[in-house]
Amino acid sequence: MILETRGITKRFGAMCALDGISIAIRKGEFHALVGENGAGKSTLIKILTGVYHAGEGAIVWQGKPVSLPNPRSSMDIGITVIHQERNLIPSFTVVENVYLGTDYEKRGIAVDWKKMKDRVNRLMDELSIHIPVDVPARLLSPPQRTQTEIIRAMMNDSKLLILDEPTSALTDQEASRLFQILKNLQNRGTAILYVSHRLDEIMALSNRITVLQNGRLVKTLETAGTTKDGIISLMTGAWSAEASGPARPSPGDCLLEVKGLSSADGIVKGVDLAARAGEIVGLFGLGGSGRTETLECIYGSRAASGGNVRLGGTAYSRRAPAASIRRGLAMIAEDRRGKALVTRLSVKENTVLSVLDNYSRWGFINDRAQERDTAEQIASLSIKTAGPSQAVEELSGGNQQKVAFAKAIMSSPRVILCDEPTQAVDVKTRREIHSLLRTMAARGRAVVFVSSDLKETLELADRIQIIARGKSGDCFDNKNLSAEQVLGACYAD
Amino acid sequence: METVKLKRIMQGYGTIFAGIVIILIFCVLNPRAFMTFQNVINISRQISLLVVISLGATLVMTVEEFDLSVGAIASFGGLLAAKLALGGVPVALSFTVPLVLALGIGFLNGFLITHFRVLSFITTLGTSTVISGITYWLTNGASISVGLPQAFKFFSAVSFGPIPLLSLIMAALALLFWFIMEHMAFGRKLYAIGGNQAAAETAGLQVNLNKNAAYGLCAVLAALTGVLMASRIGSATPTSGDGMLLTSYAAVFLGKTMFKNGVPNIWGTFVGAAILGILANGLTIMRAPTFLQDVLTGSIIVLAVVLPKLSRGTSA
Repeated sequence: MILETRGITKRFGAMCALDGISIAIRKGEFHALVGENGAGKSTLIKILTGVYHAGEGAIVWQGKPVSLPNPRSSMDIGITVIHQERNLIPSFTVVENVYLGTDYEKRGIAVDWKKMKDRVNRLMDELSIHIPVDVPARLLSPPQRTQTEIIRAMMNDSKLLILDEPTSALTDQEASRLFQILKNLQNRGTAILYVSHRLDEIMALSNRITVLQNGRLVKTLETAGTTKDGIISLMTGAWSAEASGPARPSPGDCLLEVKGLSSADGIVKGVDLAARAGEIVGLFGLGGSGRTETLECIYGSRAASGGNVRLGGTAYSRRAPAASIRRGLAMIAEDRRGKALVTRLSVKENTVLSVLDNYSRWGFINDRAQERDTAEQIASLSIKTAGPSQAVEELSGGNQQKVAFAKAIMSSPRVILCDEPTQAVDVKTRREIHSLLRTMAARGRAVVFVSSDLKETLELADRIQIIARGKSGDCFDNKNLSAEQVLGACYAD
Repeated sequence: METVKLKRIMQGYGTIFAGIVIILIFCVLNPRAFMTFQNVINISRQISLLVVISLGATLVMTVEEFDLSVGAIASFGGLLAAKLALGGVPVALSFTVPLVLALGIGFLNGFLITHFRVLSFITTLGTSTVISGITYWLTNGASISVGLPQAFKFFSAVSFGPIPLLSLIMAALALLFWFIMEHMAFGRKLYAIGGNQAAAETAGLQVNLNKNAAYGLCAVLAALTGVLMASRIGSATPTSGDGMLLTSYAAVFLGKTMFKNGVPNIWGTFVGAAILGILANGLTIMRAPTFLQDVLTGSIIVLAVVLPKLSRGTSA
């Protein structure tokens, strides 16, 4: 065994992110870590790399218990992580990036550039990696950057290399090149802990697979003795869709129609989507698949590079938040991103923020009308607040979310986009928000929401549109739909 | 491909071309006074102090921080040196004591910013005001010009052949810091921290320690600038260095547009200071009014930072 964890537990406030995780990684093994969004994969990695500290439990490295108070201590014993967001200095060359964290070679007091370059070149030969060493990192392609990080890891003779979604930015060909390099490392005795949503890769490469679900360890199993479907069913548990409220009226006209949408930054690569009046559509996909970005492209807060959006049957091309609100398209942004509310301002100021102009004449604000309408919203959404003048930051998370809803409702939208509507709210508020979304739909609006929580998506949506790697996938009618079917569609390659 | 190449050249060297154009214009308009050996020497002396103080600002800017106290530290250094010399302290000692105190001030700046994780902009604005207050207190606001020993004016008098000592000091320090920044581990660490602090920290670099060192060196160079200035003109006032704050950052910002694609660098700072110096010198020779100097200097700074963005915008 190179690494063992014994009963690792990590809590954030009342939330238990990891609950008694015990895994063991063998020398030279390719060990995959899988789990749904929020299963605890990232938290576990952060504990192994000294970023977080486990509340309970022990880490045993090569037979000896170790403590990892900071990233440096983890690196020193031979654990290296390669993140989704890569840790390179953009202005530095490959050589300097590789030497980051290692003492530079010196001749007297001066840096010996030639010696450094020679050593990096030798190491690259050993690993059969071939990238230009004099080029600054910002000019490298994504796979070259990953390879730079691998070289850096091997400078310190990494014994356990952790890769967090390394292939999400790579083409198939680039990925297979990476796999070849990883095989080489494995042959040299380096253990690999591999986190990925791409189950096909994991089935092909790994020796063993550990499945996490909601912060608990479900099982560690030999890859040879399992199938992709077997893994998916371990990730979801045994539950399926719950009966979702009263029967809904059949949907009406198509209010929102999206064709071939793509974003300028390349995250969204071709999404088709439709939402009819009276309908709730759930966008579901794995982390990083471009769900939120799709909503932002429709709303106009993220630059799009292609595709058409039709609102209520008319084309809507030059999209921007202000224009969206005028056309009856509202967006309730994910709360924790800080885009939903101006938390220092009062409940009233936030509620009327999108429609402030309606309350002013010659620039003077009709405060009484604001007050009256806000009080109306507070009552109808049952927002718990001392009054319209209370600052939003003083409210609980759930009530803040309701204020965000009030703000959206105030602009009388026909289409509502909603990102993670119940993230970090309690069960009661969650139910209230669900019924609010159903009421909006019942009144002839179209609702499109994104949730990382598959259970919530199955509870709330009339239809579920899959987004995978920036593209729209299957679209399901939510009747007798199982979690396996939905997740299976996400993992379809 | 050709246009892409041209763009890259313009991005790295556009400011230098602008500097050459300025020189050419002065040569054409005033060939006799401007392009003489004596005037080149003059310019090198005129920019020497600006270069020294800007070197320190470059270090701090490299780690993506600000030090707005360099002007106040320069004033403090000059006045303290003069006061010590006036009080009978040996000149060599009165020159070095301010440097040692400045090192402390620099570490204090660095400590406040790294330990409490506060904005360097605000913090150094605060310490700058405190230092200014102390400087006034030293002499109750008075200047020191009469009664200084002749040795105090050392740096104004000495020259090697035609080249003033100040110009040599500037050249030596610029070379030294170029070497430190480009060829010593310390400098590379500063660049790593400025390039991606999170990555540098994850890689195990001691971010706070290195930032502190940058602040310490920056303050020492600022005090040295004040001391040299006082020695050169043979007097000191409580505000003599204040004006150098903005000019030094102008030099660093101009320098960022050169050679290294938006990253502060020593040669960039040097050339930036030189362009500002040449402009001031040429306009003075032509007896242009000072307000015109201000208008032109300001415009060049704005253009130098805006133009690279424009060309990038069209290529993206």
